[in-house]
Parts: sequence; C-alpha cells; structure tokens
Amino acid sequence: MGIFSKFRKKSPWILHYNTGGCNGCDIEILAALAPKYDIERFGALNKGNPKQADILLVTGPVTKNCKDVLRRLYLEMPEPKVVVAMGACAHGGGIFRNFYHVENGVDNVIPVDVWIPGCAPRVEALIDGIVEAIEIWQQKSKEKEYMRNHEENYERLGVKDDN
Amino acid sequence: MINWIIFAFLAPILGGLIYGIERVVKARMQGRMGPPVMQPFYDFAKLMDKRPLMIHSLHALMGIMYFVAEWFSLFVLFLGHDVLIAVFFHVLAVLALVIGASSVRSPYSVLGALRELMHMISYEPFMVLMVVGFYLVSGSFSINDILQSEPLIYKLPLVFMAFLFIIPMMLQKSPFDVAEAHQEIIGGPEIEYSGPFYEAVYTGKWIEYIYVFFFMFLFGGRNYILGVILVIFAFFFVNLLDNATARLDFRKMVKFSWIFLIPLAALNIILLALWR
Ligand code: SF4
Repeated sequence: MGIFSKFRKKSPWILHYNTGGCNGCDIEILAALAPKYDIERFGALNKGNPKQADILLVTGPVTKNCKDVLRRLYLEMPEPKVVVAMGACAHGGGIFRNFYHVENGVDNVIPVDVWIPGCAPRVEALIDGIVEAIEIWQQKSKEKEYMRNHEENYERLGVKDDN
Repeated sequence: MINWIIFAFLAPILGGLIYGIERVVKARMQGRMGPPVMQPFYDFAKLMDKRPLMIHSLHALMGIMYFVAEWFSLFVLFLGHDVLIAVFFHVLAVLALVIGASSVRSPYSVLGALRELMHMISYEPFMVLMVVGFYLVSGSFSINDILQSEPLIYKLPLVFMAFLFIIPMMLQKSPFDVAEAHQEIIGGPEIEYSGPFYEAVYTGKWIEYIYVFFFMFLFGGRNYILGVILVIFAFFFVNLLDNATARLDFRKMVKFSWIFLIPLAALNIILLALWR
C-alpha cells in the first residue's frame, strides 16, 4: 500500500449506467446527490466518464442491446475499480426476469462486488452500498487486478467474440 | 523576490485550496454541506494511484504540456516579467490541450477541442486588450511597474466589468462552460485522459485559477488591500453566476464576447487614451 492509496477512500467517483430498468433507481441516485443526502460530502462525484470513474453503479436488468456497452464501460475503467449492482432488476432481472430480451442480472455480464437490494432501494441503502464498495476498493490493489490472468479475464468477458 | 519564487512553486497547492474552497462555497450556495476543503488533494492522490491508461504518447504528453505551460505562465507573472508573455504562455497551454484532444479518435474529445478553440477566440483578444489597458495606465508591461502604479480599477472600470464576465469563460463556469459540458460531451477535451494524465490536466485547472485571480489582483495596483477585496468579490460573483445560470450556446458566447465585452473594453481604452 503506497502513500497515495491511503487517500483512495476519500474520493470515490461514480459512473452510473442504466441498462434498461424503469427510472426508479436512477431517481434514488439523483436524490442521493441532491441537498438532502448529499453524497458529495464524502467526495463522491457523478462522473459520466468511465476513464475517470472508480465505482460502476449499474441499475436495471441487462438488456441484450446494452450488454456490449456495459462490458465496454467495465473494460474502459482503469483499475482499481468496483462494480455495484443496484436494485432487484440488477440482481436477477426483477420484474423483467426471463423475458426474451434480458440477460437476467449484471453478474451474467461483468463481475459484481456489491449488491444493493430493494425495488427501488432507499437512499440509505445506496449510501451503505457505496460505503461497502469503498471498503472493497480499498483492499484491491491495482497491480494484482490487471497483471494476473488478464488474458483469461478478457476471454471470460467475451471481448474476443465481439470484435 | 525569493518569496515570490517560493510562491510560484507552491502555486498548485494554493490553487488546490482555492478549488476546494470553491467547491464548499458552491455547495453552501445550493444548501448542501459540500466536500471537505482538502478534497482536491484527495482526488489528486487517488488519481495518482490509478492504473495509467494511455491512448498514445502525444495525447498524454499534451496533457502534461498543458500543466507545464500553465505553470510557466504563472512563473512569468510572479517573477515580475512581461504580462503579455504570460498571456501568450497561457495561449500555448490551452493550445496543447486542444492538440491533445483533437489527436484522438473520440468524437466527444474532438468536439471539445473545437469548442475550446471557440473559448479562445472569445477571451484571448480581450486579454490582450486588457494588457494594453494596463500599459496605458502604468506605462509599462512589467508586473513590478503595474504593482507600483495607482489602482487600475479607477481608470479601467469598464474593462474590470468585462473581465468579470470573461472569468467564467476562462475557468469554464456555467453560462459559458461550452467546452466542458459535463452532461453532453462529458468533459470535452479532457474526456480521454485517465489516471495520472488526467491528474496533470486537473492540476493545470487549479493553476488556471491562480492565473485568473492574479489578473484580478493586478486591478488593485499599488493598493494591495483593494486588490484582495476585488479578488474575493470576483470569486463570489463568479460562483453565484455559475450556480444561477444554465449553459449557453457557443455562438451566444462568442457573440456576447465580440459584440458586448470587447467593444466595452475598447471604449474604455479609447477614452483613456484620449484623455491621458
Ligand atoms: S429495481 Fe425496481 S426501481 Fe430499480 S430499475 Fe428495477 S424496477 Fe425500477
């Protein structure tokens, strides 16, 4: 653990991506950023850019159209990174489970670190989830994550099939 | 002299503090708590710790060039040299950002670079006019002489007023943040930078704060207290403007600058030259 990684937990930048749910979860996320809950207190910013984000916050079931985009967003984020799945849809499809157009949950596409249950989860649950994500993020080390068997990881994510 | 050199070396730290204070002030204006004042430094440490993802070497180099050239322009200002040279170094810095941003394939980045050029054509002529105004009042382009002369704001009130609206353009704040446009083109020129390279661009932004507010301070002239008051006033005014307004079209920005701000400054300078 270097000098710099001690401060890692103080500035989690969030990338939020909706893979096709209703807007319920997204409104909760915006409520978390709004004055009442104000997660910017903890240094969290809503960055719309995968290259500068640390936490990927996914809501909604993964529709077949969104699958590749989600995977690309995951791969474009530099390590160390954490994935948070929010809401019943992201867990296993929720009310969209086993529809013809969904992939049933985020972990069928990318590895997930933290789950936030509920439909829609309350903002308190979201903040708890973010705090847990920060703890996991703190333990991750960037070298371990991208040096070891990264070919294998890419294989598993199916990047080669897409190109 | 020696303390000015130390000051120039410490400029990124000071700029980070100003940026942190600005985030708190902005949050308080919106009725929030806001992040701690040291937040930009935490971001700095976090970004240094990320894995460096490079698009290609020129792109990364231009991000670092932006930071270095900004710092150079600040050195020129603090060591008491020519103001015009500082302005030109600032042009160079922004140009580095534009070259870097337009050298990658991302359409957002290229669009951001073009909009950044729009920013430049709306504020750089004004900067040169303002320096000419400084020359007319103090009789010299050098900072040391400007800081010895009478308060410039008495002779250049219209230029001062126009400069208040130029600051949001230079710092990419709300009515004129067309290049950054976080909701549409997600940061514009800086979108492809990540990790330590984004950190260079991020720190360059802090230095830009010092650069801009130092020009504000120069309006105070010999009267340093007046200069500090002007800086504080400008700081709050710009933040208020940032919170209270939405983004404008880039055409409106260029029009506002060329039809309103630059003629205003030119009028002031012409009147000054006639009655000198
Ligand atoms: S979990 Fe519920 S609120 Fe969230 S996207 Fe799915 S249906 Fe909407």
